[in-house]
Amino acid sequence: MTADASFWIVQTLNALQLSMLLFLLSVGLTVIFGLLHFVNLAHGSLYALGAFVGVSASAFAGSYWAAFAVAPVAVALVGIVLYVALIRRMRNAGPMNQVLVTFGLIFVFLDLFRLGWGDIPLGMAEPDLFSGRTEFLGIVYPTYRLFIIGLGLVVLAALSLLLSRTQLGAIVRAGVDNGDMAACLGINVERVFFVVFCLGCALAGLAGAVAAPVLSVTTDMGTAILIPTLVVVVIGGLGSLRGAIAGSLLIGFVQTFGAVLAPQAAAVAVYALLAVVLILRPAGLFPARG
Amino acid sequence: MLEIEDLHAGYGETWVTHGLSLSVAPGRVLAVLGRNGVGKSTTLKAIMGLLGSVRGTIRFDGRPLLGLPPYRIATLGIAYVPETRDIFPSLTVRENLELAARRFGRPDGAWTLERVLDLFPRLRERLDNGGTQLSGGEQQMLAIARALLMNPRLLILDEPTEGLAPIVVQSIHAVLDGLRGEGLSMLLVEQNFGFATSLADEVRVMGRGTVVWAGSPADIRADTAVQAQWLGV
Repeated sequence: MTADASFWIVQTLNALQLSMLLFLLSVGLTVIFGLLHFVNLAHGSLYALGAFVGVSASAFAGSYWAAFAVAPVAVALVGIVLYVALIRRMRNAGPMNQVLVTFGLIFVFLDLFRLGWGDIPLGMAEPDLFSGRTEFLGIVYPTYRLFIIGLGLVVLAALSLLLSRTQLGAIVRAGVDNGDMAACLGINVERVFFVVFCLGCALAGLAGAVAAPVLSVTTDMGTAILIPTLVVVVIGGLGSLRGAIAGSLLIGFVQTFGAVLAPQAAAVAVYALLAVVLILRPAGLFPARG
Repeated sequence: MLEIEDLHAGYGETWVTHGLSLSVAPGRVLAVLGRNGVGKSTTLKAIMGLLGSVRGTIRFDGRPLLGLPPYRIATLGIAYVPETRDIFPSLTVRENLELAARRFGRPDGAWTLERVLDLFPRLRERLDNGGTQLSGGEQQMLAIARALLMNPRLLILDEPTEGLAPIVVQSIHAVLDGLRGEGLSMLLVEQNFGFATSLADEVRVMGRGTVVWAGSPADIRADTAVQAQWLGV
């Protein structure tokens, strides 16, 4: 099986698809982390919320694209409520309290999902535009999964440009480098944080809606993805876009190829990788602070 | 212009300044001298709103600064050049400058990108370099240039000559002397006695978290007892 070229192509595409989902989640988390050292463990729950909202929106409107449009906006709005009600107050409460509060939020979301959508796994239809399969390079691959890879790459390119070429990007980089000095130049770091937080929430919601047609939508999907996402953030380096890209690809490939090549070791492969990176590069592969 | 009265500032439970008072008059340069650890940098951080533990009064143009966030204090017209320079390593030299220029540059503003580059020609050659690729002297020039682009009414400098080669110290001196000639108000914290006293209109000496001596540059040059006791010159 493994000698067959099509096997490697298919698994590479699977790995890329997982990497892109991890990227959409980890990029928001890592920049929020880097900018104001805030630990938001409920980020995975926002991803699940995106999936549930997506399921309802597509069922209501009868179109996948309703989910695609509504989920990021709805999750960003929930993010604003969370920010105003909780996160702003927890800004100076220290990492332990932040971890405890956002950890508690995970359970709040879990029960809200149960109340709202029940415990039965839900599904969502692919968009007609990307349904079916595509033949290329001698393989047949689900078209929608190619769409996920493409979307991930588009978001990645857009964020790279935003961070490297725009004034907002320069402000975010300055804030991650040294928030105090950025403030001394008249930058309202708190407001930048709010904008970035909303953007991170929207991307988590988008990831949920995009993942819904390929994964079954369950109440615990947010907690399931939280651990690999945190691993991505730590491996890549806190606050670093390049780190989020590299970490997502690394974890996506290790997890996918681990599962097919060495199933018995797959469960520990990601953690072994984490341990190796932490020993060799304690600040991650691409630390944001030089 | 800047008045500090009975300032107690520190970090958490540790207080570093004890009832410090000083003031900077418009268009004047105040130099604050003193050994390491007497609270000079702490005082500057307190002015910029960077410290959690602060009591007393700090006023800028009569307006109380205590409790304001740093970005509001900066917007009021105070530019800060910290001891560690704090160039943003992820930004190029140009981006470091533009970050300050875009927020404060006004059409009629005195300082533009072109003008600070004329002042520090070395930076013009380095515009597209990363912030970390600069020498210590270039970082100090960039920190001062960045502060000037905020078109401040008060410039605060924390040991601008620390760790720099004599030739760089000379060029920084020439720049600050020029700014003084243009009537920019400055608060200069230094350990370099000659540098500070040649620029200042007024001198304060700090010891044990408060002002222990006040006078003119000429007075302190003549007062070897004060120099020996508080500065170790």
